[in-house]
Amino acid sequence: MKLSSRERWRGVSPAPIGIFAALLCTLPAIALIPMAIADGGSHIGHLIDTQLTSYALNSITIVVMTVIGTLLLGVPTAWLTTRYNFPGRGLLSVALPLPLAMPSYIAAYAWLSMTSNGGPFHDLTNGYMPTVSGVAGAAFVFSICLYPYVYLLSRQAFESRGVNSYEAARTLGSSPIKAFWKVSLPLARPAIMAGMALVVMETLADYGTVDFLGTPTFTVGILRAWISLGDPEAAARLALILLVTTLLVFGGERLSRRGQSVAENGGRSKPLQRVSLSSHTALFAILCCTIPVIFGLIAPVWYLAILALETAPVRSPVDALQGTLLVASLSALIAVAVGLGAAYADRTGGWFANVSVRVAHAGYAVPGAVAALGVIALLAAAQSLIDTVFGSVAPLIAGGGIIALLFAYQARFAAAAIGPCESALARIPFTMDRAARSLGASRWAVIRRIHVPLALGGIVTAALLVFVEVMKELPATMILRPLDFETLAVSAHHFASDERLTQAALPSLLLIMLGLPIMILVSWMMSRQQKESAFDE
Amino acid sequence: MRLRLMTLMLAVFSLTACENKQSDGTGASGSDQMLVVFSSRHYDSDYALYDAFEKETGVDVRTIEADGDLLVERLKSDGARSPADVIITVDAGRLWRAEQEGLFAPLQSDILDDAIPAAMRHPDGLWYGLASRARVLVYATDRVEEDQLSGYESLADPVFKGRVCARSSGNIYNISLLAALIDRWGPEKAQDWASSVAANFARDPLGGDTDQIKAVAAGECDVALVNHYYFARLMNDEKDKDIVSSLAVFWPNAGEGVHVNVSGAGVAKNAPNPELAKRFIEFAVSEQPQRFFAELTNEYPAATAVKYDNSALAELGEFKADPISLLKLGENQAEAQRLFDRAGWP
Repeated sequence: MKLSSRERWRGVSPAPIGIFAALLCTLPAIALIPMAIADGGSHIGHLIDTQLTSYALNSITIVVMTVIGTLLLGVPTAWLTTRYNFPGRGLLSVALPLPLAMPSYIAAYAWLSMTSNGGPFHDLTNGYMPTVSGVAGAAFVFSICLYPYVYLLSRQAFESRGVNSYEAARTLGSSPIKAFWKVSLPLARPAIMAGMALVVMETLADYGTVDFLGTPTFTVGILRAWISLGDPEAAARLALILLVTTLLVFGGERLSRRGQSVAENGGRSKPLQRVSLSSHTALFAILCCTIPVIFGLIAPVWYLAILALETAPVRSPVDALQGTLLVASLSALIAVAVGLGAAYADRTGGWFANVSVRVAHAGYAVPGAVAALGVIALLAAAQSLIDTVFGSVAPLIAGGGIIALLFAYQARFAAAAIGPCESALARIPFTMDRAARSLGASRWAVIRRIHVPLALGGIVTAALLVFVEVMKELPATMILRPLDFETLAVSAHHFASDERLTQAALPSLLLIMLGLPIMILVSWMMSRQQKESAFDE
Repeated sequence: MRLRLMTLMLAVFSLTACENKQSDGTGASGSDQMLVVFSSRHYDSDYALYDAFEKETGVDVRTIEADGDLLVERLKSDGARSPADVIITVDAGRLWRAEQEGLFAPLQSDILDDAIPAAMRHPDGLWYGLASRARVLVYATDRVEEDQLSGYESLADPVFKGRVCARSSGNIYNISLLAALIDRWGPEKAQDWASSVAANFARDPLGGDTDQIKAVAAGECDVALVNHYYFARLMNDEKDKDIVSSLAVFWPNAGEGVHVNVSGAGVAKNAPNPELAKRFIEFAVSEQPQRFFAELTNEYPAATAVKYDNSALAELGEFKADPISLLKLGENQAEAQRLFDRAGWP
């Protein structure tokens, strides 16, 4: 279902939006290039001779294990909660995305203390439960914290897509399992891959969790080159290697499904008929859907709550709460505009827009501290440019401030908005655009009256995902924030990095408490939107 | 429709938050003067210090707290327009990096020179120590005899094969220790030491210093390399003091003595209020703020004459600090990380 290039350009010209999104997301990474080709970087040789291979191997192992873990936790639970009826299904389908509100470094702190000697899980299992540490421990923490990406996006796909095809396959005699493997899963592949991409990039970019759990990854190598070896040039080179590798992997995946289009004809899909499960299988389904929530949310929150209750707070968290709300909500709004624009550019634009959007997407794999470094370098360069033009009256843009901070968040998280917007738009068939245009609708009307309403679930999901991401962000917030500006993540990090888990518990809990209603909203909006689009016509 | 409603709600929410911030700003700037502190410390003692300075002078203290290296990058890129008056960092290696980047302005102050011993300040007055932490050995009293330990070299002793715990080599405390040992022993012996310690590990480096202490208490290992400050904190905590009841601190006093790491402050090169910055640093080494460091964060005050009340520090007793020039720690920092990498200390 490819459009000819002439037809493509009949829409609102999308190229500028795509390019803008790409620039926004990649400028910090681009700012690394002059740094990477500058003199210096002499420590690369040393790293290659010593630890780089083991860093890279750790990264690869953790990513592979996390991919398997998030697929196992995310896809079956999405399938069970959309296609079957069992006691507690409604509650569980809302509860399953919630672990996304838990920053993975906090989950790592909590799980390590729960499972090390003297911790509740260690004592409860008489020491048989292994300590959450090392490569396997890191993969465990990432899996339980990040599977909601896969769950959310694949649930959206299962709910909206392939209902007709799935039922056709069943009518033609396929078993439910075969119909799932042969029809529903392939149809959901773009959505699952979008979720997977977020998981992989977040895993690759992480520093706090892997450092704490004692499994140095490629990102730890980047940070060590910069911090311990004092060689930012080497760090910039390694960061670019990571970025390009990620780009190639996801480019390859997209190439492998080139020419496949998974939009269903007609925006109308039958309302879902959920199959009721027998008591044995229902029990299995409940178990499947409860375990991720217990590991990802209930156990660590319960542990943190006990710590928080036992400890008198040393600082009021109100300022931090306000700061978090401010930056997270503003960023979510901006990210939706960027994400939607980029997704639209990708849908209707030429190859240039397509490539721009792919590049924008990969910006997510840049470690937060390195991205922050890029933003600082960029602002400094822009400042010196303005200074030469305007002289002493030039406005101050370098350094911190809300604007610099919001820019850094977009650079880092707009990718999280592009994915869901893209997979939501991908479900709207091009025939509908053409039909609307031939009925005299203007270009904007197509976007406003067809794309936005039909993709609303994806758009809201994008906004809320960015909200949650920004809420949890650390390095850029720390360094670019205005004077005396505090967020919950920063407070939690200050205490945790000082090894005061008990004091870190309160801001961490508030962070999670703030994330919970957001995640519940994501869940609710998505299922609500599905129902509406099914009944609307 | 629903999207529009949500957008509206979010916008209103953020605007109210904005408003609150602004009103905070105007309220606080009622006093004429403002002092901006860029700090990589975030401890109760520091908040007490800021409050005390505000009370004493009526100056409004504003802060940015971030990890040391990000702080250095921010100061570099802000350049001549940096709002920072005072720079505080946690480690001698970081002070050295800030100094290398030319971020400090030299400071002449008899008050500071009198209060802070020469080993704890920069020879040209670029920065002055505020407080220090000692890197010590912690051991299980039921499994290790005190006379089995002689110093940092004991961690490399084959007797302790499979019995040693330490955190990862990327950590600045370990890097600074090895930087000091490179100066003490030369790079070859220092690397041999690091390899032998790594060969003695009971487990791969994991968690922070407190986790190493807990691992010794739990019997996972018998000796650990930690900062005294985490041990003292556990001793002073009602809930946690049982953890350290069967443990003891060994002071590696022999030879050059105990490796000490220093937090320090300096006046920023482009400080908008250099006089105020000087006044702040002088205030920070006076008696009351120095007591904050000892009593609220269990650190040793840099102004050695100051008496303080901290039962854990009193119990740990006296020790002999390594007189090495703190500049060496910075100079040897990159080499220390390279030696760790070669030695296979993760």
